[in-house]
Amino acid sequence: MGKLTNPKAELLEFVPRPSRPPVVVTYGFTGWLKKHLFGGFWNTLQTIAVFSLLYLLLKPFIEWSVIDAVWVASTRRECLEISPDGACWAGVITWFNNLIYGRYPDELQWRINLGFGLGLVWLMPLVLKKLKNKIGIAIMAVVLYPFLANYLFIGGEPNGLHYIIACVALAYLMMIYINIILIYTGCQLLEQYLEPLLERISPKKAALLSHVACWFVLSLLIVSIFQGVQLQHVPIDMWGGLFLTVVISSFAIVMALPIGVFLALGRRSNMPVIKWFSIAIIELVRSVPMITVLFMSVTMMPLFFPNTMDLNKLSQVIIAVCIFAGAYMAETVRGGLQAISPGQFDAAKSVGLGYWQTMFLIILPQALKLMIPNIVTSFISMFKDTTLVSIIGLFDIMLMARNISIDKDWYGLHSEPLVAISFIFFIVCYGMSQYSQSLEKKLKTSR
Amino acid sequence: MNNKITDISSQEKNSGTIAIKVDGLNKWFDKFHVLKDISMSVLEKKIIVICGPSGSGKSTLIRCLNHLELFQEGSVSIFGQELLNDKKSATLIRENVGMLFQNFNLFPHLTILKNCTLGPIWLKKIPESKAVEQAMVLLDRVGVSKLVSKYPGQISGGQQQRVAIARALAMEPRIMLFDEPTSALDPEMIKKVLDVMIDLAESGMTMICVTHEMQFAHQVADQIIFMSDGEIVETGPPEQVLKNPKWDRTSHFLQHILSHTS
Ligand SMILES: Nc1ncnc2c1ncn2[C@@H]1O[C@H](COP(=O)(O)OP(=O)(O)OP(=O)(O)O)[C@@H](O)[C@H]1O
Ligand SMILES: [Mg+2]
Repeated sequence: MGKLTNPKAELLEFVPRPSRPPVVVTYGFTGWLKKHLFGGFWNTLQTIAVFSLLYLLLKPFIEWSVIDAVWVASTRRECLEISPDGACWAGVITWFNNLIYGRYPDELQWRINLGFGLGLVWLMPLVLKKLKNKIGIAIMAVVLYPFLANYLFIGGEPNGLHYIIACVALAYLMMIYINIILIYTGCQLLEQYLEPLLERISPKKAALLSHVACWFVLSLLIVSIFQGVQLQHVPIDMWGGLFLTVVISSFAIVMALPIGVFLALGRRSNMPVIKWFSIAIIELVRSVPMITVLFMSVTMMPLFFPNTMDLNKLSQVIIAVCIFAGAYMAETVRGGLQAISPGQFDAAKSVGLGYWQTMFLIILPQALKLMIPNIVTSFISMFKDTTLVSIIGLFDIMLMARNISIDKDWYGLHSEPLVAISFIFFIVCYGMSQYSQSLEKKLKTSR
Repeated sequence: MNNKITDISSQEKNSGTIAIKVDGLNKWFDKFHVLKDISMSVLEKKIIVICGPSGSGKSTLIRCLNHLELFQEGSVSIFGQELLNDKKSATLIRENVGMLFQNFNLFPHLTILKNCTLGPIWLKKIPESKAVEQAMVLLDRVGVSKLVSKYPGQISGGQQQRVAIARALAMEPRIMLFDEPTSALDPEMIKKVLDVMIDLAESGMTMICVTHEMQFAHQVADQIIFMSDGEIVETGPPEQVLKNPKWDRTSHFLQHILSHTS
């Protein structure tokens, strides 16, 4: 080792110089304009060309939709009398409630709002830092929340299994929030107060037991509190509008990923039966148009289920859409899995992890992160694709929009509802895409 | 660097527990015969260095030792436990055997600390606080304890490889396999990783290292195995293999390698 250095010469000591803060370049607004829009002849020309094109295209639209538009009127005829060339938003506004809630009775619509509100409330704790077991909360949300929401939406007598499950779900939600309050005020968790008691019965499972016990007591409480509250029954035929679209597409979005992951893993499996089964489902579903799948779900699915099972159109459609979405997602997930280097599998195995642990702890987290843009793209297209259910006669937002044009007061009002729906869809889809980008940034860990 | 050559240990203890026994191992990739009749046995606490030209099957051989590759013929046993072609055997073997890779293969989505605590928490069911404590000791030992909250993509290659060593050690293996742990690194980092490996060797770990760091081999190896074309050509203590090789193939390869490194 010592050959290279010369022992006689006095060596200078190397001290790295201190780091400076990075250079920041600021232009100011006019500076920015000059640099980016009017820098040089061609650049200026391009800017002018693009802006004039935009003007030419947007001007008629703005005139139609804003300047000449009619906002208040009671019929289409009135609209045309006020301004023949403008949009008649009055029709859309009159029907707006129906676009959102379908034919759901006006005085009961608070139940839908409450249902979705509770969903948000359930998901909100997931952003809290101090809370543990977030995965558990998320899974419980997927498993229990639909029952709670469904009970709110459908209604019915406060007895029977459905009512009880809804109460159990609500109890779980309450428990989460009680625990959050306890954590942030520096107390023990609710179940930890019970733990010493139960430790005598079974020291090992005390934590689990006390958790279940708390949950059970809260459930009993809630079941008895709401015993007197009667929710009027609203049959599924009355559901519609954006509400129905959101119900169907949220099932598709939530189920797509788990179905997709299992189908993708199945397709890569070494076990031939599982492998061929997955390939068959993926390829069959992917090579059939969505509309066909929807029609088949309504006409053929009852053949596969026992007669006694009460299947309504909505649940048939939801099952079909979930399978459809899952099959597409499977290929997205497979793409992501292929992007993971074999070295990761080797490393996971050499640490000693088994197949499922390797997949769920090492491979899928990396693969899913890579796939966020693709996943969200397919979520967005699923959300839009659900409008196809109008074809089989579910009154989703699309069918409600078309109904406006055959209403006797608004006969022939075609474009305005469609523009309005486009706007609604744009807001939702753009929101999803923005969320995915912020998620990507948040999860960006390496380089 | 600690320059005491540990030649005493290699000569004195000739008998001991057999850690790894390989007998008549043959492996094919399709029709390509990668490993031909490999037999060897490694005593506990010995350091074996495997070297040989590229494509000679070194990686394949050590990957067979912890069930990352399956083989068609012969037998491998680790501490008397025969390696069978099933999952249970794989899990049992991997409990005792840790492995290091040329390109580190840290888990990029987990912090350095989580990389080291994942195995203990999920496999040994150690409570998290205790796993963190143990991991910190190991990370300190390999000299990267300041980086615990970083992600693998944010630290240098040499640091990554040392974290990988800590990750493997966290599972408390009795045998460590190294597949060219330093060949993706620059000289300054190589030295730091080798220092850790030397430290490990001195602490009595059984090690099998595929490496072309001949100085390291000379310093710590109890035995050098030279492989070529899927066969063990030559084996013996470093003095003998490095200074007086029996075969022209070995001598030719060594000349080649030494002219590069020194
Ligand atoms: N999965 C595989 N499928 C087919 N052939 C393979 C596979 N892995 C390795 N081989 C072949 O087996 C031979 C031995 O490979 P191995 O990786 O063991 O060599 P090595 O001695 O480690 O070489 P290096 O020094 O380059 O790492 C090579 O010829 C390689 O092409
Ligand atoms: Mg190799």
